[in-house]
Amino acid sequence: MTAFFDRLFEKQARNLAQTSSRRGMLKKLGGVLVGASAVPLLPVARAETGAGPRKPVEQGSDTDCDYWRYCAIDGFLCSCCGGSANTCPPGTEMSPVTWIGTCHNPADGRNYVISYNDCCGKSTCGACLCQRDEGDRPPYRPDKTNDINWCLGTASASYHCSTAVVVGVAFDE
Amino acid sequence: MLSHRRACHLLMLVPMLVMDAVYAEINDARARYHYQMFCQGCHTPDGSGANAVPALKDRMGFFLNSQRGREFLVRVPGSATSKLSSSALAEVLNWCLLNFAGTSVPSSGYVPYTEEEVDRLRQDPLQEIIQHRASVIAEIAAQSPQGAQHE
Repeated sequence: MTAFFDRLFEKQARNLAQTSSRRGMLKKLGGVLVGASAVPLLPVARAETGAGPRKPVEQGSDTDCDYWRYCAIDGFLCSCCGGSANTCPPGTEMSPVTWIGTCHNPADGRNYVISYNDCCGKSTCGACLCQRDEGDRPPYRPDKTNDINWCLGTASASYHCSTAVVVGVAFDE
Repeated sequence: MLSHRRACHLLMLVPMLVMDAVYAEINDARARYHYQMFCQGCHTPDGSGANAVPALKDRMGFFLNSQRGREFLVRVPGSATSKLSSSALAEVLNWCLLNFAGTSVPSSGYVPYTEEEVDRLRQDPLQEIIQHRASVIAEIAAQSPQGAQHE
């Protein structure tokens, strides 16, 4: 058995010696080192950093109508109704069907994609009415209008308040 | 002459090049942004839809089983009358197929939408969408019963 391994390794070592050179090895190693330095430039790494929303730097209060995320809102702020800019007050259900626009964040100078999900299932909250309407379109552009009741995907169609959830970074076209 | 091993390596490259040709048309960040801005509000972030909003997730590839189905995905008002340019619409449709359609795409594969095809089809938006959709689904289900499980 050991003779078999001896023969095998001897044959392989001789093959290697006959088909390669020490300079060839240096050349290949050099190629690998230079090639490896280019790896961070490959699109994989950039796609990773570009995809998905990054947490924006925030300034201002989300109970204030001037808060940057509310640029196109028309409704009662959930942050004044027991919820927040991202969450619904207890006892209400967030509509999965919503309208979506972009707002400019002055803190980092970037535009973000904002989803104005309504909270539904209770009568209107009545606190912090905020109507800014930037980029709002008439109802014949239904996906870009805030004039309709967006409680469309919920058990109840009763509108309570509106959130403004950051869902992505706007693509610079 | 190519050694056997070299030839094998080259053969392995072929499917990679074909895949590259498909993906090369899609700018992921741009397509995702367009999906978010013009589709996600109703079809939801993962394409699963809600209530009367049809699911794209694990479903939309079913429509590629017939020419009328393929045209349906472009002629529905959400696609045809959207503000997107035809090249952006083709891109976002291909992006949705890649990201949401899952195993619902035909097992034999599919040809991605092109700007030219989308531009031509969207000139004729559907009016009676619900009836049209039902007839497209029935037609595909009749010709491939196993495909019908997606609907």
